[in-house]
Amino acid sequence: MGSYFDQILFIALPYVSLFTFFLMTIYRYRAESFSYSSLSSQFLENKQHFWTVVPFHYGILAVTLGHVIAFCIPRTILVWNSHPLRLYILEISALSCGLLTLIGLVGIVWRRLTYPKVRGITSPTDWIIYVMLVLQVLSGVGIALFHPWGSSWFASNMTPYLWSVFTLDPNIGYVAAMPWLVKFHIILAFLTVGFFPFTRLVHILVIPNPYLWRKNQVVRWNRNPK
Amino acid sequence: MQNLNSSIIRNPTILPRFSQLLSRDSSRDALRIMCILTFLLLVLPMNLQAQDTPDYFRQQCMNCHTIGGGKLTGPDLKDVTGRKDREWLVNFMMNPKSVIDSGDPYAAKLLEDAGGKTIMPLAYGMTKERAGKLLDLIEAESKLEKSQFKGLKISSEPFTPADISKGRDIFLGLSSLESKGTACISCHSMYDINALGGGRLGPDLTHVYERLKGRKSLSAWLVSPGTATMQPIFKNHPLQPKEIHSLVAYFEESANHNEKNKSGGLVAFFLAGLIGSTGLFFLLDYIWRRRFREVRKSVVEGASR
Repeated sequence: MGSYFDQILFIALPYVSLFTFFLMTIYRYRAESFSYSSLSSQFLENKQHFWTVVPFHYGILAVTLGHVIAFCIPRTILVWNSHPLRLYILEISALSCGLLTLIGLVGIVWRRLTYPKVRGITSPTDWIIYVMLVLQVLSGVGIALFHPWGSSWFASNMTPYLWSVFTLDPNIGYVAAMPWLVKFHIILAFLTVGFFPFTRLVHILVIPNPYLWRKNQVVRWNRNPK
Repeated sequence: MQNLNSSIIRNPTILPRFSQLLSRDSSRDALRIMCILTFLLLVLPMNLQAQDTPDYFRQQCMNCHTIGGGKLTGPDLKDVTGRKDREWLVNFMMNPKSVIDSGDPYAAKLLEDAGGKTIMPLAYGMTKERAGKLLDLIEAESKLEKSQFKGLKISSEPFTPADISKGRDIFLGLSSLESKGTACISCHSMYDINALGGGRLGPDLTHVYERLKGRKSLSAWLVSPGTATMQPIFKNHPLQPKEIHSLVAYFEESANHNEKNKSGGLVAFFLAGLIGSTGLFFLLDYIWRRRFREVRKSVVEGASR
């Protein structure tokens, strides 16, 4: 029975999620190009905005980039980790970025909850994706703390699993015996990918994506707010 | 621009408009395809990766059993079908723990022979059909003078300090494995790994030498690591006999140590991460140190009044 659920969650779910992702992002872009935005709320509240949004974004970018690098060049990660000191440096850096993301994200949700104007423009979809992201980042930090050293075992176990999914020959042997927290993190990641096209996260796909290197931009009213 | 912003704010979610658009023909097709794909993925029989029985035995059973090679952690399986009936054996292979828990006297004896602590794990992907095929294989191999599952010849050379040191280097990753396997520290810890310690995905291996009943069993186990997490890694990157020799030397030596691991472990790691993230907050503040000056400051102050 366990292996049946593993097959549903680690073979069926990834393909359903990826299919939904590609189909619906293209569809949404064709049907509603102008909805490809995260709808800035900077002009509604600006005190907490910087201390939540900026840490979250740079944190999640660094962490995601780490996952992508381990996915693309696992051998290099393992060679880097072949000295304990280097392994510790990589893990502490990753945990620092994970905590930065978590603190920023909790701040974002707190800001949305406590400022009526910002809460007013927060849609049900936004709340769902915030809950998913909080759980995802929380489980990621939990994995880093309770099941170290993830940078090494991701390269040896998760990378082959993910490649097996992308090469249409899924091998769940790599994930079947992982602790429940790791499984939860993987499942939620695929659910997030599937839910992605329906959320504000689509702003990630706006190309060219200038968010990271453009000059500071202040979003404000062109009249005096009442 | 203001009108556009206002209209987006009034309709922050795109879901309602999606549902309206779903009435169009093209989107109906898209939805239909999604439903069919989901249905196919969930309902079509999805067999586990096809694997022949000898391969399965090699990966799942050989770390604890031989056929005619003597006892390891588990008993020698030569002529096992003559010692116990097939129905009992199939049932035990499919539910080892529950048979032991039920108080079955033969299962209790097996547990006692294995040291009283090591319960046979349920092999991944074990089914009634697979258990039957395994028993057929064991029966056939038992008739041979020398089974292919007799087990490897384990080195009996005495361990030297150089072996112990080499084993520690392999464990830490300082000495890379010939077939590019992952270093033990990724998932395991030992009594003498300080700083932040070893990994905690798998168990601490300080006393693994005792747990797996000494040199022969431990060496056999390392030839084909049996846990479901290690198996897929070492299937394609097996440890070499010399590496096993060094690792077992290190494990034998570590079994004499009862002191606790002195690494900072979880707390030190968490604090290091917290310090790192605090540093990053300061860095972000420094990078955007001009954010409240000039035009912006007056605008923000004006808006807050």
